[in-house]
Amino acid sequence: MIGTIAKKEIVNNLLSYKFFIVILLASVLIFTSLFVMARDYKARLADYQINKPAAGEAIAVLPPNPLSILAKGLDESMARSIGIGVTGFDVQSGQKSGNVIYAFFPAPDFVYIVKLVMSLVALLFGFDQISREKEDGTLKLALSNSVSRSALLAGKWLGNFFSLAVPFTIVTCLGIALVGLDPAIRLSAGHLGRMAWLVALSLVYIALFLSLGFLVSALTQRSASSLVVLLLLWAGLVFVLPNLGTLAARQIVKVPSTKALSEKRQQIWTSEILKTYTKEGKWREGTWNDRILAINRESNRLEEDYRRQADRLVRLSKTINRISPAAGFVYAATDIAGTGIGEDSRLKEDIIRHKNRIVDDIIGNKRPFPAFTYRYRSLGRVLAEGSLIDIAWLLAAALIVFGVGAAALRRYDVR
Amino acid sequence: MTEKATILKADDLSMRYEDGVLALDHLNLAVRAGEVYCLLGANGAGKTTTINLFLGFIPPTTGACFINGIDVAKDPLEAKKHVAFVSENVMLYGNFTARQNLDFFAKLGGKPDLDKERYYQVMRRVSLQEKAFEQRVKTFSKGMRQKLGISIAIIKDAAAILLDEPTSGLDPKAAEEFQEILHELKAEGKAILMSTHDIFRAKEIGDRVGIMKEGRLVMERTREELQVEDLVKIHIDYMKSEPLSA
Repeated sequence: MIGTIAKKEIVNNLLSYKFFIVILLASVLIFTSLFVMARDYKARLADYQINKPAAGEAIAVLPPNPLSILAKGLDESMARSIGIGVTGFDVQSGQKSGNVIYAFFPAPDFVYIVKLVMSLVALLFGFDQISREKEDGTLKLALSNSVSRSALLAGKWLGNFFSLAVPFTIVTCLGIALVGLDPAIRLSAGHLGRMAWLVALSLVYIALFLSLGFLVSALTQRSASSLVVLLLLWAGLVFVLPNLGTLAARQIVKVPSTKALSEKRQQIWTSEILKTYTKEGKWREGTWNDRILAINRESNRLEEDYRRQADRLVRLSKTINRISPAAGFVYAATDIAGTGIGEDSRLKEDIIRHKNRIVDDIIGNKRPFPAFTYRYRSLGRVLAEGSLIDIAWLLAAALIVFGVGAAALRRYDVR
Repeated sequence: MTEKATILKADDLSMRYEDGVLALDHLNLAVRAGEVYCLLGANGAGKTTTINLFLGFIPPTTGACFINGIDVAKDPLEAKKHVAFVSENVMLYGNFTARQNLDFFAKLGGKPDLDKERYYQVMRRVSLQEKAFEQRVKTFSKGMRQKLGISIAIIKDAAAILLDEPTSGLDPKAAEEFQEILHELKAEGKAILMSTHDIFRAKEIGDRVGIMKEGRLVMERTREELQVEDLVKIHIDYMKSEPLSA
């Protein structure tokens, strides 16, 4: 019975203009996004080829991550050129487009399209599934047969999910395949595996919003009311909650500005350098290395304090923001792509370690400096370090919302 | 002559809504195989509530209703295998053709393996034009949709058929055709319970006619009794009479 209902939903969708318009719009957006982001990636890759440090230079630069085509996240910040000095890092601004209009209308990546557009599309598929059928009298007619309400809901949900998921997956895979044909974009098997995870994660996110549409439809008697409620919910979950969480976290955890940090570093430098001179203003022999080590030690302590507070702020923001499925989705997607907060944090730790090695080389008068290399976390580690929680949360939320929708339909007045 | 089996039975059936309104007050009625029972009454008299109770859409406050001996409240899915339903104004699935609608509801009704010719046969039987068989239902008139609605009931081949004001808004020709189909279904042994405002049609088609007022079955007449009594006058008298609760 569930299969019959699901099949009916798929055929009904295929015969409707709404389906074609919505899928066409989503497809155009996904294709456009992939191609625009691929261009952006290539431009940053070209910048990297120019900025790539020569052997022995105390500069750390990462090449842009090919997965940033789908989930840009913090990749632009991570792939910046970082000059390493005793007091800390001299971070250069990342690759900038020559077109200033990008500052006003940044190119949306795949994650952004899924977060905003596909969630809305899923709601549009779900908002009238129960209330519209009631208005049309088909709900009463269907339930006058030996069909349970749970089976009806499950069939309708499955049919609509497949109607959404199949074209979405095809369009995304086709877009990725076309982007992958570009010789400048080298996608390894590992990258493709992570892309598959991104698509699967997107489907879980879409399933959650589809369930939400069904739930509200089963709680309202009219499809127009359902649409209004869902649009408000969507705006709240996608726009308001993630920002509220960040604002709330800032009220609880105070983090000094990077400007204050930079000034403090300068103070350490000045204070330590002054110690190399006597009261009479004469240079103290044999103290330079001690001062360098002291500056490095103090800078590291300062950096550590700052990072501890910043990490606390980020952790708290993340925890609060997880109330919003959109935030959970973005955290998981960017972490899987290697452009998320977890990867950025680990990169910074590696750069500090690299800086300490360079300081040791300065003291030991060793040249050339070692080249900075960075290995992205394995997918298993990414999942274990938090992404699995985000995915599980989205999956659980989708199941809970569907369950509540089924309970609402059991009590629904079909008359 | 042997007594025909009772297919639809309301046993001391009452329904009080959450707001306290008593929609149905100790209703007792039975519809036998091959019998058409017409329920008359003003809006809010309890006709549609009776049908909704038979379909399990609402639970009775007291009493029970049975379809083929199965208590609807206790085993609604089993009970609904034996009943088909035609509502007043069903829109059906507008993007589907008449045949696709019929196919879907036939499958829901437990007939998964019917072929196209069987669907055409049923649609011909209700006098739906051949060219409409593969047309999208959103282009259909109300009369055509009602014909398709009765096709859905026919194809289920259930022992009982519940009709909720099925001729409301139909033109005289369509209503006449509808009446003929009901006669055929009755001849096939279906137990038919129809709520209607159409007194003339009720008199012509009903083996028994009940008048409901404020949730109570206040009068019941057989076809034979109505040969000598004026149903219109009886109905109007009940409509005009003092409220029962007064």
